[in-house]
Amino acid sequence: MATTANVKMINLTIEGRAVSVPDGTSILEAAKVAGVLVPHYCYHPGLPVAGVCRMCLVEVEKAPKLAPSCATSVAEGQVVHVHSEKALEARKGVLEMLLINHPLDCPICDQAGECELQDYTFQEGRAEGRYRDPKRFNPVEDFGGDVVYVANRCILCTRCVRFMDDVAHDPVLTVAERGDRALIGKFEGQDLTHPWAGNVVDLCPVGALLSKDSLNKARAWEMDRAASVCPNCSQGCNMIVETRDNQVVRLRPRPNDAVNKYFMCDHGRLNYRWMNRADRVEEPLVRQAGVLAKTDWEIALRSAAALLAGKRAFVLASPNLSNEALFLLGKLVRRTGGSGSFRVNHGPEAPLPGVEDLALRSDRAANVRGAEMAGFRRSENPLSAMQAGDVLIVADEELGDVDAAAAAKAGAILVIGTTLPAWARHGANVVLPIANCVEEEGTFTNLRGRVQRFLQAKAAPGSARPSFFVLGDLLAAMGDGQGYWTASQAFDALVATQPSLAGMSYDTLALKGAASADAMAAGVGGGGART
Amino acid sequence: MGFPHRPHERETLVLSKHFGEHEAIGLDGWRKRGGYVALEKALRMTPAEIVNVVKESGLRGRGGAGFPTGVKWSFMKPGDGKPHYLCCNADESEPGTFKDREIMRWTPHALVEGCAIGAYAIGAEVAYVYIRGEYTEALDKMNAACREAYAAGILGTNAMGTGKTVHVYVHKGAGAYICGEETALMNSLEGRRGNPRIKPPFPAVAGLFGQPTTINNVETLVAVPHILNNGAEWYKTFGRPDNPRSTGTKLFSVCGNIQRPGNYEVTLGFPFKDFLYELCGGPLPGRNFKAIIPGGISVPIQTREEAESSPMDYEGFVANGTMLGSGGVIVIDDAQNLVKQIARAARFFAHESCAQCTQCREGTAWTTKILERIVAGDGTHEDLDTLLEISENMTGKTICVLSDSCATPVVSGIKKFRADFEALIKKKRVHMVPAQVA
Amino acid sequence: MSAPHGEIGEMHAPAHASHGDRGHHHVPYSPVFTGARRAELDELLTRYPTKMAALLPALWIVQEERGWVSDAAMAEVSDLLDLTPAYVKGVVTFYTMYHQHPVAKHFIQVCTTSPCNVCGAEDVVKSLLKHTGCGELGVMSPDGRYQVIEVECLGACGFNTPLMVNEKFIESVTPETVPELLASLG
Repeated sequence: MATTANVKMINLTIEGRAVSVPDGTSILEAAKVAGVLVPHYCYHPGLPVAGVCRMCLVEVEKAPKLAPSCATSVAEGQVVHVHSEKALEARKGVLEMLLINHPLDCPICDQAGECELQDYTFQEGRAEGRYRDPKRFNPVEDFGGDVVYVANRCILCTRCVRFMDDVAHDPVLTVAERGDRALIGKFEGQDLTHPWAGNVVDLCPVGALLSKDSLNKARAWEMDRAASVCPNCSQGCNMIVETRDNQVVRLRPRPNDAVNKYFMCDHGRLNYRWMNRADRVEEPLVRQAGVLAKTDWEIALRSAAALLAGKRAFVLASPNLSNEALFLLGKLVRRTGGSGSFRVNHGPEAPLPGVEDLALRSDRAANVRGAEMAGFRRSENPLSAMQAGDVLIVADEELGDVDAAAAAKAGAILVIGTTLPAWARHGANVVLPIANCVEEEGTFTNLRGRVQRFLQAKAAPGSARPSFFVLGDLLAAMGDGQGYWTASQAFDALVATQPSLAGMSYDTLALKGAASADAMAAGVGGGGART
Repeated sequence: MGFPHRPHERETLVLSKHFGEHEAIGLDGWRKRGGYVALEKALRMTPAEIVNVVKESGLRGRGGAGFPTGVKWSFMKPGDGKPHYLCCNADESEPGTFKDREIMRWTPHALVEGCAIGAYAIGAEVAYVYIRGEYTEALDKMNAACREAYAAGILGTNAMGTGKTVHVYVHKGAGAYICGEETALMNSLEGRRGNPRIKPPFPAVAGLFGQPTTINNVETLVAVPHILNNGAEWYKTFGRPDNPRSTGTKLFSVCGNIQRPGNYEVTLGFPFKDFLYELCGGPLPGRNFKAIIPGGISVPIQTREEAESSPMDYEGFVANGTMLGSGGVIVIDDAQNLVKQIARAARFFAHESCAQCTQCREGTAWTTKILERIVAGDGTHEDLDTLLEISENMTGKTICVLSDSCATPVVSGIKKFRADFEALIKKKRVHMVPAQVA
Repeated sequence: MSAPHGEIGEMHAPAHASHGDRGHHHVPYSPVFTGARRAELDELLTRYPTKMAALLPALWIVQEERGWVSDAAMAEVSDLLDLTPAYVKGVVTFYTMYHQHPVAKHFIQVCTTSPCNVCGAEDVVKSLLKHTGCGELGVMSPDGRYQVIEVECLGACGFNTPLMVNEKFIESVTPETVPELLASLG
């Protein structure tokens, strides 16, 4: 709702509240500004207006008919009633019509609890239907990809069709047939395999399009939710992590106009099983008499500090660590006169054509910019810069495919990670278990230099601790500072050393993040690495 | 011309004068009857002059809405740098209406000429005639007329030697009532599903292919050459002297339970009673008119008494609780099960709903199910209240008026013939012999 | 065949579902738009500012040529007009005159909407079902020659009962004239 000097502002009254919005705004969006939700189904801010569900009808004084608020622009002096008797009656009528052929199978429907048909029916619908005739039946259809279509629950809002047409630019869905025989159709052999097709499941306001992956996994009310950022590529799509009993069961996009609008790719949304992996390192380990033995944090940290005393540290960092962790690792490297590098997994880039600068990025890591900002060097052969005798700090890197001989050059090995790679069972001197990115708080910097917070969604296993906490304590054990109690303190320390982040704090970043100064200077397309 | 019957002396034959004359179908025969004189004249006028004459004549849209044609044309701004389009709505699908079909069957060149004049008047170089796919004969005749007109230099990039470009293309529909709705027709012409569009934007701003577009009914366009030839004053002489808002002649299609169904051309304001009894011969032997729908199935049903006191013009029908609509007169006599016919009308709309708006998609089908249940003898008294409430939910709340059109016969039927419904509800399970059970 | 999950990918791909084999019954699909038909489409394309606008005419050409519009034909048309097959399917299923399945030699569509209904259209339907041997609406007669369906308003309400046999429009049919009509079809 950006207001600039050359946009004419329109003043109107919605439910008795005066609002001023730019010319051309729909009544529905203006009502949001006034704090009034107009019930709707087919309207979605990320899609072209269809105006077909007729749910968002509102009464506009002096207009002869009720107006579809999604498709009606505001006008100066308009007086709009969203909850007048006339408008409520009309919406009650729509709800009744939507339910006559609906199977009313909420008890077995995945959407129950987060279903807009359910919500508005409870809010405004009739207590009892008057439909006495046979219901229409259509079989469930596999749409391919991750999507299954339950036609009987479909309200023909066409959000899915419009998403595939106008946002994904891959029109594989269509409204087929007409009248009450109409349903969403696709062409035999052409499936919903577009890398962003899974968004149709989120867009569907009812239980008609369901994710096969999350089918029957959890009821909406059984899940806990946390705001987060997708770690599966460098785009940094905002997301919600949903857990049930401390297990991540679903990832969904969280709207952010500056990054991902309302969307998230299938790679990101389905790539969550690693967040639940069971082979985690749960206790600090120290090598004693040739074997790694469980110990407590105090001993482990002291052992790690002793390992590093008077030695150069060479850090092999994961580009999926938070800015806070990478900053502290960088600090450790500089303190010991060492160096560090990281490598990035790759995959094919998959843009969402209808949204500017949104793609599944080929860099399949969340924080490449953060690693660069912390002074680490990107390399395909990350151990090449390690000098013989360096203490190798493996910071949540699985170290697969790394030349074992290169690792053997290390004077000692300190693992700070979520897992203990097989090779390190023999080589590691100290192992410090940390939380993964859905178990702790922190920030990532996306490929355009936008710094975004993620919150904790589940508890870390065993004695594992947040990465910023462990690294703060390690530095403290080396005589540098007092450690940090919260991630925001660690972030403040980072900001103090990074002019490009000046002015940022967890409060100012809030849940939408902010662009770093050099990202701003470089514009959307820019953003070179800095050291 | 009371086609297929001989003209009645009280008809005023302007548009239908040559119905039934095979010679009038071809270009030579049409030229002998004064064809293309008006176009030649029009191409030497400025578009604004043509628009003014049509405005002055009082010609109103003959498709159903009755919007003044000259005013509609004046919304187009020739010279705005955009391509303009004329669409001729020949999708005639309103049950009870079959006048455009006869115009195209017998006088295809009249429509080609009307389209050419209309296109030129609104600054368009292309006119599309959208003809419903079922009108195979009309399609053949119109295609042939266009070919003749191109061959004779009437159409093309040098229309009638004036250096002006006028194209008329025939576009064949494929079976969808809703494509008679102007924005649905445009979508269909563009190769889309025939879904009506939200207005605004109106067609004159962004219509066919997103460009300024005017859409006119067949009968409207074929009246234009006559107006240009004879002048606006001449056209205005047709009509009730006390109602200057309805001028000209109008083709009425008559069908149902009546002696002489067919097309009749009368001046607007003609007494409906005389029309039904004198021109059309009155009811079949031994029967009486029961209900009359004067403007296609979408307009409210009239009782015999209401119909007999209506003057046949836009205002006259409104004053008697209905509308002129498309001029498709459906007569139902006392031997019919009126409720069954209303159910049949509802089924028509349920079949034709485009499926966009909830109330229409679901409401037309629900209405049909209830009505068919009542006809089958399983109705209840609550059903009538439910029907009226559903109809209320279907009225004035959707993108186009198909939903309203379905509600209209239901509401007017229950209001005016409630006893028929109640009799069926009381009787329980006697009627309903489905057609397929031989 | 795309297979999102391994277990599905390991199954044998059903032959009819593979993209390369668009036709039914494994008969290779021969395109409609070659030679004169292609020229006809090219001429049509000059009439409109978009390729999409030629979709309904192109589908008519398919139906004239093949008698119905198959999935394979939809795919062909979508390629020619830069559309997707799903889009074309959405359009085809909207319009009732495009046949999505092969129909009988004489496809008879009888108007039974109210104006014709009050004049006895249902009796015409009954007579047709009897004399064609179809017995039921939509069902092909045992000899495969006839198929009778009810349609909504054909727009010839004053000439009841009107019907269409394929592309031929026939007016004023009565139950009594049905045998004569059928005989004339050959």
